[in-house]
Amino acid sequence: MTVSVDDIRRTMAQVLELPEERVQPDAVLTDLVSDSFLLVEMAIELQEHYDVMFGQDDMRDLRTVADLAGLVHARLSP
Amino acid sequence: MPLSDDELFVLSFYRSSEINGSLFFGRLARALKPGPIQLDLSRHFADEAQHAWYWTDCIDRLGERPLKLADAYQDRYLEAAGLPMNMMEVLAVTLVFERRVINQYAKHQAVPDLHPEIAATIGRIMEDERWHVQWVRDALAGLEERFGKDHVEATLRRYRAADQEVYAEALREYESRFAFLSAPRREPS
Repeated sequence: MTVSVDDIRRTMAQVLELPEERVQPDAVLTDLVSDSFLLVEMAIELQEHYDVMFGQDDMRDLRTVADLAGLVHARLSP
Repeated sequence: MPLSDDELFVLSFYRSSEINGSLFFGRLARALKPGPIQLDLSRHFADEAQHAWYWTDCIDRLGERPLKLADAYQDRYLEAAGLPMNMMEVLAVTLVFERRVINQYAKHQAVPDLHPEIAATIGRIMEDERWHVQWVRDALAGLEERFGKDHVEATLRRYRAADQEVYAEALREYESRFAFLSAPRREPS
């Protein structure tokens, strides 16, 4: 499955109900996510959408949209 | 028999907790792909919303208005245990939390001279709570192959430790509010 950073940004923007232009690669996740439930929803949505798996430990050090997109990419890679 | 301030606080606390559970499961129900977990989780979401209604109605029938509480028990829970980031972690924290909820409601049911409205509300909710524990336990067992049995068990242990910590902290903070629940237990009739 080939996924671009823009695909991931689009998926995130849909879950967060934000315009895509706000979900820039260098945007800080905690600035985009208004509450903790929404962050969980976004993590689950990405895993369901791209059929990947990550957990609490993987998310701990993520800071930006690009970091999260990188995690999804890493999990997609064989 | 009017509600005491402490009883009103505790019932409002239950209501608030059910509302938060419903909002959490509603978000997850939206994110999940169709399948058995989506099906059961959607019912769980609906149950929690229904329970919030039961408590709102119960408080109203007792002539009071629910208190608006600043923070929810679940927020502390997730803060102590860390946010669950996949469905296995969500189910693990839910299983630990639901068991705590059942224990809390059972403790309340045993309060001497419990108002019939409160007893009836807890009774209705407890029927659903037993199913919640059952479906979550079964779904978690179904994920053992994918996540590894050891990892699932380690996750449960981590959330149980957080549960003990948060519950002890809540008891200390709300000691006076919850004191009436520690009155001598009613003998089974």
